[in-house]
Amino acid sequence: MPDGFFTDATLCIGCKACEVACKEWNQVPADGFVWTGRSYDNTGGLGHSTYRHVQFVERIREGGPAWDFSSDVCKHCERAGCLEACPTGSIVRTEFGGVFVQPDICNGCGYCVVSCPFGVIDRRPDDGRAFKCTFCYDRQKAGLKPACATVCPTESIQYGDLDELRARADARRDALAARGVTDAVVYDPRDTSIGGTRAIFLVRGSCDDYGLPAAPELPSVRLRAGWRSAAGTSLLMAIILAAAFLV
Amino acid sequence: MTSLKAPVWTWEVPAYFFVGGVAGVAAAIACAATLAGGDRATIGAARAIALFGAAVSPLLLISDLGRPGRFLYMLRVFKLRSAMSVGAWTLIVFSGATTAALVYWIAAPAGPIVAAGLIVTDLVAATTGLVLATYTGVLLGATVLPVWAERHRTLPIDFGVSSLGAAASAVELVAGTTEAMVRVALAAAAIKTVFWLVSLARREPAVNRTISRATLLAGPLALGLRLAGLAWAPAHAAAALAALVGSGLSRFGWIEAGRADAASMRQ
Amino acid sequence: MPGLGTTFGRGGATTAQQDLVNADAILIIGSSMAEAHPVGFRWVVKAREERGTLVIHVDPRFSRTSALADLWVPLRAGSDIVFLGGLVHHVLSSGRVFREYVAAYTNATFLVREDYRGPEDLEGMFSGWQQDARGYDTATWQFEVDESGRPKRDQTLTHPRSVYQHLVRHFARYTPEMVERVCGVPRDRFLEIADRYTACSGPEKTATICYGVGLTQHSVGVQIIRTAAILQLLLGNVGRPGGGILALRGHASIQGSTDIPTLYDLLPGYLPMPAFGPGTETLGRYLARHRTPSGWWSHFDRYAISLLKAWYGDAATRENDFGFGWLPRISGDHSHQGYWLDMADGRMDGLFVMGQNPAVGGPNAALERRALANLRWLVVRDLVETETAVFWKDAPDSATEVFFFPAAGHAEKAGTFTNTQRLLQWHEKAVDPPGDAKSEAWFVVELGRRLKTIAAADRSPVNDGLRALTWDYALDPVSGEADASAILKEINGWHVATREQVVGFRDLVADGSTACGCWIYAGVHPTADRNRANERQASGRYGHGWGFAWPADRRILYNRASARPDGRPWSERKALVWWDETRQLWTGHDMPDFPVGTPPSYVPPVDATGAATIAGDTPFIMHADGLGWLWVPNGLKDGPLPAHYEPLESPVVNLLYAQQDNPVADRRSRPDNQWSRSPDPDFPYVLTTYRLTEHHTAGAMSRTLSRLAELQPALFCELSPALAATEGVANGDVVSLVTARGRIQARALVTARMTPLVIDGHVVHQIAMPWHFGSTGLVTGDVVNDLIAISEEPNVKIMESKALLCRLERVPAQAS
Repeated sequence: MPDGFFTDATLCIGCKACEVACKEWNQVPADGFVWTGRSYDNTGGLGHSTYRHVQFVERIREGGPAWDFSSDVCKHCERAGCLEACPTGSIVRTEFGGVFVQPDICNGCGYCVVSCPFGVIDRRPDDGRAFKCTFCYDRQKAGLKPACATVCPTESIQYGDLDELRARADARRDALAARGVTDAVVYDPRDTSIGGTRAIFLVRGSCDDYGLPAAPELPSVRLRAGWRSAAGTSLLMAIILAAAFLV
Repeated sequence: MTSLKAPVWTWEVPAYFFVGGVAGVAAAIACAATLAGGDRATIGAARAIALFGAAVSPLLLISDLGRPGRFLYMLRVFKLRSAMSVGAWTLIVFSGATTAALVYWIAAPAGPIVAAGLIVTDLVAATTGLVLATYTGVLLGATVLPVWAERHRTLPIDFGVSSLGAAASAVELVAGTTEAMVRVALAAAAIKTVFWLVSLARREPAVNRTISRATLLAGPLALGLRLAGLAWAPAHAAAALAALVGSGLSRFGWIEAGRADAASMRQ
Repeated sequence: MPGLGTTFGRGGATTAQQDLVNADAILIIGSSMAEAHPVGFRWVVKAREERGTLVIHVDPRFSRTSALADLWVPLRAGSDIVFLGGLVHHVLSSGRVFREYVAAYTNATFLVREDYRGPEDLEGMFSGWQQDARGYDTATWQFEVDESGRPKRDQTLTHPRSVYQHLVRHFARYTPEMVERVCGVPRDRFLEIADRYTACSGPEKTATICYGVGLTQHSVGVQIIRTAAILQLLLGNVGRPGGGILALRGHASIQGSTDIPTLYDLLPGYLPMPAFGPGTETLGRYLARHRTPSGWWSHFDRYAISLLKAWYGDAATRENDFGFGWLPRISGDHSHQGYWLDMADGRMDGLFVMGQNPAVGGPNAALERRALANLRWLVVRDLVETETAVFWKDAPDSATEVFFFPAAGHAEKAGTFTNTQRLLQWHEKAVDPPGDAKSEAWFVVELGRRLKTIAAADRSPVNDGLRALTWDYALDPVSGEADASAILKEINGWHVATREQVVGFRDLVADGSTACGCWIYAGVHPTADRNRANERQASGRYGHGWGFAWPADRRILYNRASARPDGRPWSERKALVWWDETRQLWTGHDMPDFPVGTPPSYVPPVDATGAATIAGDTPFIMHADGLGWLWVPNGLKDGPLPAHYEPLESPVVNLLYAQQDNPVADRRSRPDNQWSRSPDPDFPYVLTTYRLTEHHTAGAMSRTLSRLAELQPALFCELSPALAATEGVANGDVVSLVTARGRIQARALVTARMTPLVIDGHVVHQIAMPWHFGSTGLVTGDVVNDLIAISEEPNVKIMESKALLCRLERVPAQAS
């Protein structure tokens, strides 16, 4: 079953067609006409009104200028911080493996916003609800590829079976290495508390350059310790109160 | 570097953290005082504060929601994995128990069933109240922002103890100084002071100025004033004010810290 | 596109984008293909990633194209002839010439007249200069002919007056050292590129050159493309898979608008527009002038008369020269540059602007906006209210009456696009246009109907042509729109008597019994109910069955050259079209661009006519001699060979010749179109302009859409950190850019993607600017073309917008 994204940044030409197609298909509103002066990136980052974001990394490589592009997207974590945090059950896992915010249920509590280890989901100020990449759930339902993968002219964004995509990513990294491009790395954080992502990447240089954390952590891993601390504190407070009245 | 999102919460959320915490501990005070046969003024004040908090807290929460009309969607599901969900349910139960307890308390002379009801609702309100005072620390700790996440163990203690001091102070300011409340406030201020001294000794950098000020107010200053109050009673009122302001300030300080944390990653 | 037209025979890309995957090397020069043609660029990426194709990008600016190339070579804007000439020199001097191909398929063997003198002898000029006319008499550029009038040839390529030896001498100056001095490309870097590119040519390998307006918009634009064409011929890269020259056209159907031209000097199908004056008074004289005795243009009469029959119908008779006299005549410089200057001088009454936004997109746009104020009336048809439509807001004294018509977008009407590779693709109407918006066809048909009504009433002779014009398009009763497929059928052509569609241009005849709106498109609608542009069953290597490529669905032009003179492929790896001995016809992966039954050994008899004049081993069938023209004796105004001239505004003196700039180019210098000197201390930096993926040309279709506008919301200029340091400018600062024409403001984008170059020992800085911004839309900015001058390249009268001089000024914070 097609259930994953593989963004091969080494094929990306930075055209931003994914950003445009995504906004057009999902009817995402404009979020400001701000020139940033940071290369050609005037989008800034993923957010409530940006579900695909092309990063522009300018650097010097082998003595000359180099420009790396990578189209970032919601990672659709196997164990998703936003999904766990959501108190209304608005955020669900779909049959395609994606993490989906049901817009008719979200009440805009904002807890998912601080629960995403990739800084993806955000609350849209004028709308009040949280938004992020839907994995084009409606298109998936209709047997179509997500809009971004459909329009990508160079097949930098690939959509398909995750295991197949993983094999493709590894093969591509090896092929590049054989060609002398030795700095390409696959981003597929499986050995972390999020248990892997459904959006994997192949990027040149350090994953950090593209805002991909080496060890993304599921925030709920700290719940047990937190609750234990809360219970201890509550007990302590109860004892203090009892002592205060009984002594 | 990953650019994490800043909390979208407005002033209502830290205000709720404070009000809810104070109300929660106030309910516990009411329960303890009732069981221990404390003076009626203290019990009445504690119940009033708890009820006030139980009424205001949902309003604050609702007003912060992006879609306030959908507050009740919080009750579609109960999720242990979501501190927000646990907190919402806790608040609901707390509000109900506090309200019921007040009714029972007023009707207490009516007989043994009512008396038993009072004890049960008081215990429920006290338990959920203490959760209310501490879960907000769990909630912040179980997020991705390092400034919160790194303190996921201490935040519940910090929030709980700060609510303890603030609740005792609030009851005291309404009902007059009692020995029991002074003891509670002293304990809270002392614990805060110990934490403060430990962080000084460890040379931990201040999270931000708001939190530093809040700590000074609710910790060493409140403690000092309480000790002074043993000799000169009016100092108690000042100590109570310091603890309340410090407690409230600290909640705003922590939200501010989260916002700054996210901003520092978006260079 | 006479650069390609004169060299190969047709003014169109010789190849298709899908064919790029068959290339062993791709040289992209004068184009940021990834930015301006991102969808086509997929084939470049595919070639590089899947086939290991070498991709070289030559451009002043490190762009999104460079990011995906194996090699990026920054060069000084306007030095392209030296770079490409250096490659030609390298090929000639290092034995990389594909000799068998060159000897058989080009005019390298021809002998040039003895009295010819070239830039080597004449300080950069060619013989035949006429000072008064500011032009060349091309007599001395001709070939030496034998008694029968045929050019003399030397198959050994050793005769000192052979075209080949002329090339060797002419390009002898274009050494790697000269490339370093003029282009700023270090000698070793250049040699690396030259070696790697030329190694990808020969019987087993091919290489493609892709270019865009970065080559054309120069005072020597046509000759730059000529240099590229010469290089490809010498390497045997034309007509072969993975070879050729891909002219990347600027936007949708620009190729279509040269095929069925919006140009003043062409009629549909590249038939020359008759000029006012001797030699064009009668159809007979017109045909005599343009019909060649041999090669495909020997059918010129069929195409011209069929066109007249399509336009004038029954009124076109043999007796009245098929209405030839009704055609308008060229009476002056009606090029874009020419008529806008006329307008500025008050010599024009009215103007229709459709699908264009000259107030932003025209050269010296400030002049063009002022010129609009001198009209009596202006009609603007567009999707949105463009800067051109509201020019009067900044021209309070303008008395121009402006009519703004809302236009239907391409999804709101049916029709065809002809894309960059000559491929016609039909698009259906998806939705009704909003409100009063109508298609261009509706407007033109309606305008024609009304003019014909006037002409019917006023029977003066000047209206004869209008009255004769066939204008019987059926209109939709509801929308009033003409049926676009009826127009395409007329373009395809039909037999007049039966109204049966012609199957291809071979059906066309010169006796008035066929009508055809554009002969090269014949075959697109071969029967009344078959529209090949609307077919979507792609098959084979080139996707035949998807759309229709002119001519005759040939995807790779001159593909006869993919086979040896004897008809066998040069190599199995590069087989494309070959002679099938058993079936006695040309066959292969593409439609043969050759008479399909003419065997390789065919030698035309002396009395042959028409297609029978084409010898079996001459692939360039549009040329009378059937050869690729390394040397162009006719058809170009600035020399039979390309010579490097500096841009009209240059930071350096010409290091190759004493002649500084193209002597035939016209600066159109005047007080409102001023020029700097070359070099000029007031304007020390090179200015070049370009396009961004995020915007479309003059911005009307992108600055008005939030999805696109937010991606590039402000005008900026790109400059190197070194220049920024020199000028004390920080990234994001507001700066002024000043040329001899104007001053604008932009944000500074300081990036290592721009780099200073060392030109003849001096550092030269270049500044690059996208030109999409104007005063209307969601995002606005100053008009970059206010900085550009109106000028005329001699052959196509294009302006030089890719290499000018400017200075940079800091803008104090409070002033910005």
